[in-house]
Amino acid sequence: MRGSWFVVLGLLLAMVLAFGAGCAKKPVESTPVGISADEAARQAEEARLREEARLREQQLAEEQLARERMEAERARLAQVGEEITANMIHFAFDSFELRPEARTTLQRKAELLKEHQEVKLLIEGHCDERGTSEYNLALGERRARAAYEFLVLLGVSPNRLQIVSYGKERPLDPASNETAWALNRRAQFKLLDM
Amino acid sequence: MLYFPRSTLVLRVVYALMLMLLCCFSSAWAQQALSIDIYGPGQHQLNLVMAKPLHLEPGVPEPPEALILNNHLRSCLGFMPFLRLVSGSEVIGGDVLAGVTAKDIDFRRFRLDRVDLVLTSGWGGNAGLGPVELRVYETFEQRLILGKSYSGVTREELPEVAARFCADLMAALTGQGDFFRSTLAVVKTHGQNKEIWTASPLGRGLQQLTTLGGISMSPAWSRDGRSLAFTLINEGRHYLALLDRNSMEVRRIRLPGNSVISPAFHPGGDIVVSLDPDGRPDIYQLGKDLKIDRKLVQSWAIDISPSFDESGTKMVFVSSRLGNPHIFFMDMNTGDVRRVTYEGTYNTNPSLSPDGRMVVFSRQTNQGHRIFLNDLTTGRERQLTFGPRNDVSPAWAPDGFFVAFSSNRSGQYKIYLTTRHGDEPRMAPLGEGEFASPAWVRQQ
Repeated sequence: MRGSWFVVLGLLLAMVLAFGAGCAKKPVESTPVGISADEAARQAEEARLREEARLREQQLAEEQLARERMEAERARLAQVGEEITANMIHFAFDSFELRPEARTTLQRKAELLKEHQEVKLLIEGHCDERGTSEYNLALGERRARAAYEFLVLLGVSPNRLQIVSYGKERPLDPASNETAWALNRRAQFKLLDM
Repeated sequence: MLYFPRSTLVLRVVYALMLMLLCCFSSAWAQQALSIDIYGPGQHQLNLVMAKPLHLEPGVPEPPEALILNNHLRSCLGFMPFLRLVSGSEVIGGDVLAGVTAKDIDFRRFRLDRVDLVLTSGWGGNAGLGPVELRVYETFEQRLILGKSYSGVTREELPEVAARFCADLMAALTGQGDFFRSTLAVVKTHGQNKEIWTASPLGRGLQQLTTLGGISMSPAWSRDGRSLAFTLINEGRHYLALLDRNSMEVRRIRLPGNSVISPAFHPGGDIVVSLDPDGRPDIYQLGKDLKIDRKLVQSWAIDISPSFDESGTKMVFVSSRLGNPHIFFMDMNTGDVRRVTYEGTYNTNPSLSPDGRMVVFSRQTNQGHRIFLNDLTTGRERQLTFGPRNDVSPAWAPDGFFVAFSSNRSGQYKIYLTTRHGDEPRMAPLGEGEFASPAWVRQQ
C-alpha cells in the first residue's frame, strides 16, 4: 500500500517537473547574426507601421459598422415614423370631437408608439379658412388636444407628446371649397426631436 | 312821452320776437353747420370746397408743390365721412379766389351752392418752399374755423402737413382729431410666415417691426404705445412675444400650456391672454413678472379674445360655452358675466369701445363674415359692413369713432376704415401685400 503511494507521488512530481519545464521554454529574443542596428530599427518601424495600419483598418471597419447600424436604425425609425405619422385625422366644422375613424387611426398610432418607446410626437391642430384667426387657433388647440388625450388614455406617456395649434395658417389645400375645407380641418402628426 | 298806436307796438314786439327767433334759429343753424357730433345718432354731412392754391403775393405763380399738398389734403379729407368734397367746378364762379382770407372771398356764391366750408391755401416766399397758410372758412357766418401756417416745409413733409391740418380740422369740427394722430399695428403675410408692421391709418411711416420667421399674429398695443404684445408660433411652439418699441427688441415668453391666444393689454398695464394650462383655452391675467397672476374667465369650452374699455372696468370676450362662439361681457369689478350676442352661430373678434358702451365684432352670415355693432346699453345691433367676401377683426380707434377691420373684398386681405355709423369703408393705403388684424394706439 505504501509502495503504491510512492508511485503516485513520483508520477505527480514527474508531471509537475514536465509542466514547469514546458513553461520555462520561452522564445529567445536575439539579434540575428549579421543584421545591423539600423536594419533592426527599420524593421521595427515597419512592424509598427503595419500594426498601425491594421488598427486603422479595424477602426474604420468599426466605424463603418456603427454607421451602418445607425443608418439601419434611422431607416427603421423613419419607417416607424412614417407609419405613425402616415394618417391624419379629420374633424367636422367648428368641432373637435373625434369621429370613429379618427379613433381607429389613433388606436393604431398608440400601438406603434408603445412598441417604439424612443419615438416622440408633435400633434398639430389645424382648421379650415372659414373661421376667424384667433378662434381657429383655439379650435386647432382643442383638436390637437383631443388626439393627445386619446393617445394618453391608450397608455402613451404625455412626456412623449407635444401639441401645437396652427389655426388656419397652414392649409393643406388653399382652395375655397368643401373638399379643401374638409381636408384642412385636421390633426396632423410629426416626429419630434426632443 | 312817445306815443305808439297799440297795433304798431304789437307789430314791433312781433318783429322783435321774430328777429330774436331768427337770431336764435340762425345761430343754432350755424352752430349745427359748424360742429359735427360724430357720436350722435344722425350723420350731418358738410360740403367743402378746396379753393385753387394761390401765392400770397398777387401775380406770383404758386409752386408746383401746391398741387401736391392739395392732393394730400384731398386724400386726408376723404377719410372724414362727415365731409363731402365738392368740386370747384360745381360752384358758380368756380374755385379761383382773389386771395386766401375772408375779405377776398365772396361767400354768398358758395352759400348759394350749399357749400358749408371753403379751404384756402396760400404759398409765401420766393425761392424754395416758403410758408404755406391753410385756412378753412365757414360760409354762413363767414368765420375762420381753422388757420395754420407751416414754415420750412420740405416736399417730403407735405403728407405730414396735410395729416396735421386734417387732425386739427377734425378736432375743430368734432372736438376729436386723434384719428390722424394714431398708429396702426397690422399683420402682414410673408409667404408662409407673418410679421408685424406699423403705419398711420393713412399709410404714412409704414415700417416692418418684426423679422422673426414663423407666424406672428394678434398684435395689441400697451396704452402708452411702448410695448406691443402678440402671439408667435415658431418651431412647433406658441410664445407670447413682447416688442419694446424703443429698443425694437422682442422677448419670447413661454407660458404654461400649449397655446398663447389673443393677448391684450389691460389699461392698468398687465397683459391678459388666453392660455390652456388646464387643457382648454381660458383667459388669464399675467403679473408684472409675466407669470400667471389670476384666472379671469373659464369654462369647459373656448374662452379667448379679451378686449377692454378705457377704464379697464369692462371686458368683452368670446366664449363657446353654449356650443358656438358668442360675445360675452364681464364687469371687472364684480366678475359678473352676461351674454351679449344672441343672433347667429359664429360671433368672434370683439372690440370694446373706449367708453365701454359699444362692442363691434364679426359675425358669420350666409354671405361671409360681417362687422356688427352691439349697443351694450340697449342690446340693439346694427350691421356696419356688407362685404363682399369676409370682413373680420374690427378694432375701435382711440377716438371711439373710427373702426378698422380687415377684409378680402378685393380678393386679398387689406385694412379698411369705417365708423361707428357704418360709413362707406375706405382702404388704408398700406401698399402691396396682405394685411390683417389691425390694432390702434394714440401717437404718444
